[in-house]
Amino acid sequence: MINGFGIVWAERGLMLAGLANTLLLSVLAGICALLLGALLTPLLMHRAKPVARSVRVFVDAARCTPFLLFAYMVYYGLPSLGLRFDNWSAGLSALIVYHTAYMAEILRGAWAAQPRAPIEAGQAFGYHGLALFRRIVLPPLALASAPVVGNQLIQIIKDSAFLTIIALPELTHAASSIQSRHFVPFAAFITAVLLYWALCLVVEAGVSTVGRMAEARR
Amino acid sequence: MNMNDISDMSDMSQCRQVLSVSGLSKRFGSLQVLDGIGFSVARGETVCLLGPSGSGKSTLLRCINWLERPDSGHVLLDGRQIGVSSGGVVMNDRELALMRTRIGMVFQHFALWPHLSVLQNVVEAPLHVQRRPKGEVMAEAEALLRRVGLFDKRDVFPARLSGGQKQRVGIARALAMKPALLLFDEPTSALDPELVGEVLAVMRDLAREGMTMVVVTHEMAFAREAASRVIFIDRGVIVETGHPEAFFSAPSTERARQFLLRYAGAGLPNAAPVPTPP
Amino acid sequence: MSTADVLAIFGGALTTLLLSAAGIALGLPIGLGLALLRWARVPLAGRAAAVYVSLLRATPLVTLVLLLFFALPNVGIAVGPIAAGVLALTMNTSAFNCEVWRASLMDFPKEQIEAAKSVGMRRALRFRRIVMPQIVRTSLPGLINEMSLLIKVTPVLAVVGVVDITRAAVRIGAETYEPLPPFFVAIAIYVPIVFALVSLQRWIERRQAIPT
Repeated sequence: MINGFGIVWAERGLMLAGLANTLLLSVLAGICALLLGALLTPLLMHRAKPVARSVRVFVDAARCTPFLLFAYMVYYGLPSLGLRFDNWSAGLSALIVYHTAYMAEILRGAWAAQPRAPIEAGQAFGYHGLALFRRIVLPPLALASAPVVGNQLIQIIKDSAFLTIIALPELTHAASSIQSRHFVPFAAFITAVLLYWALCLVVEAGVSTVGRMAEARR
Repeated sequence: MNMNDISDMSDMSQCRQVLSVSGLSKRFGSLQVLDGIGFSVARGETVCLLGPSGSGKSTLLRCINWLERPDSGHVLLDGRQIGVSSGGVVMNDRELALMRTRIGMVFQHFALWPHLSVLQNVVEAPLHVQRRPKGEVMAEAEALLRRVGLFDKRDVFPARLSGGQKQRVGIARALAMKPALLLFDEPTSALDPELVGEVLAVMRDLAREGMTMVVVTHEMAFAREAASRVIFIDRGVIVETGHPEAFFSAPSTERARQFLLRYAGAGLPNAAPVPTPP
Repeated sequence: MSTADVLAIFGGALTTLLLSAAGIALGLPIGLGLALLRWARVPLAGRAAAVYVSLLRATPLVTLVLLLFFALPNVGIAVGPIAAGVLALTMNTSAFNCEVWRASLMDFPKEQIEAAKSVGMRRALRFRRIVMPQIVRTSLPGLINEMSLLIKVTPVLAVVGVVDITRAAVRIGAETYEPLPPFFVAIAIYVPIVFALVSLQRWIERRQAIPT
């Protein structure tokens, strides 16, 4: 069992490539989902009922659907509609669309909990438009939503592992491939687990740092 | 004489009118909160708006800087209309924001920006809205904080301050904009009784130094002592106005008399009104 | 898609529900046990529990399932796909449940325990009659949330060959050259189940918000 790790070390190139792909997928999907979710949040709270309702249906449907099914559908199902995706585009877009729904709901919740008075003060002092948003609205909102957004990023990292099923060469796929070629399941998958753990600890450290900033201001 | 619109009652000449409100009306749903109100404030005056809860005083104040949009009427700051541009068109956000930089506001619940320290709160708008040079703004901010007694708390975040301290920062923040007019929306109503005094002291000094102020308050002793004029509002109309001494010792209208009686113990903070018979 | 196909998918659905139920049933008490170990600050076991929870919350379920399915036979423990699946689900959900239970335990008012001590209640009795009923109540929304999350990840058990909804759907799609309908059926089975749990969670939260 121990020399299994020796084999994994010999194949570290493959493992690290898998890790890099997991990182790439997660970071890209995280950023896109956060930005798109931020665009969706005002629509979620829109005055016009049809708009708000249809976005609400999308968000609730996404949150009730297993991610794996959704990824499968994008990769296997959409080609029958004429949309051909390679596994990278399918995987990345599935991650983004799915988690945009979650981010929209997270940001809506964080926004609802924000006090209105400081924003009104911003308007009274002559802020408007982008400056009002950037300097007055956004900073407290970002501080408040950091923990939940961080959790969602961890979810994205874990959901990326599902994409091994559509043969995307991310971390779990790399571990699987090393396992099937050298019969070192314990070493290969434990290494993968430890690497996932390291990624999550990094995200949690980031959230802690922001959390300390928020705590100083609470 | 229409007591409700006293915009030309002041015997001071037009060019010294900092604020001129006329024909201001506002309704919320079926409730007429303001009904054709008008008054003027000359430079250096401290005007206190008094009245029972629900009389429309706060709404009136918030209409001055268009945080509430009046249904009709005019608000003029130094002769220029707020909210409506010269063509009669409603101002866009940018024009409105520009006008608001000349009016300072102090809020009932302080409304300090929680992500900024005390000093950062004070310099924020002068730096980023008025775009004044940093050296000048910093020096003035520190002087203002010294003046309200909070210089040693300049790097503290608002969450760590008491209510009275927060409100004093709020006043410094408003003063840092060098406004032509300062609005106070029940500045001490959210404070514990023992903290009210420190805020009123700052306001009294400001009045004495000739700051032009419009104050909505329930602090009768403050109004009596610091105001140059009081305006009594009830149910959306101006009922009575005059010199504070005259108003408090010998009100000329029945409603004013009843109001002062209900606030028996007026001058004591948080005096509870006696409920009126229907 | 013939009736036989639809039945195949429903058969897969039943498997899913049974596996999820097993995972939930086992994960709840194990999660509570882990939470108690940490709350009571048992010297070695408490720390071990903390590490276990941190690791498992960071591990994707698919990686865990593959690890158990391939690695355990290698060290002499024979596991079939169903056993590996249930074990992975249980380990995963127990870690998340631990955090839910722990949050309730940490929020538990100290005074109540002191009051129980002062009338002479011993530890076991205190826990059974005072602490437990209340933390069950406060943990309920979080635990139900975790149940809905668990059900959402069970499709991955297809990876190790447990016949599941997704596997049936893919197979049918490959056979009929119409991949989309089976997926819609699969989704149509999962979404209401998850939605029912989420609605239950919201209902409980609303009820608990009403002061008793």
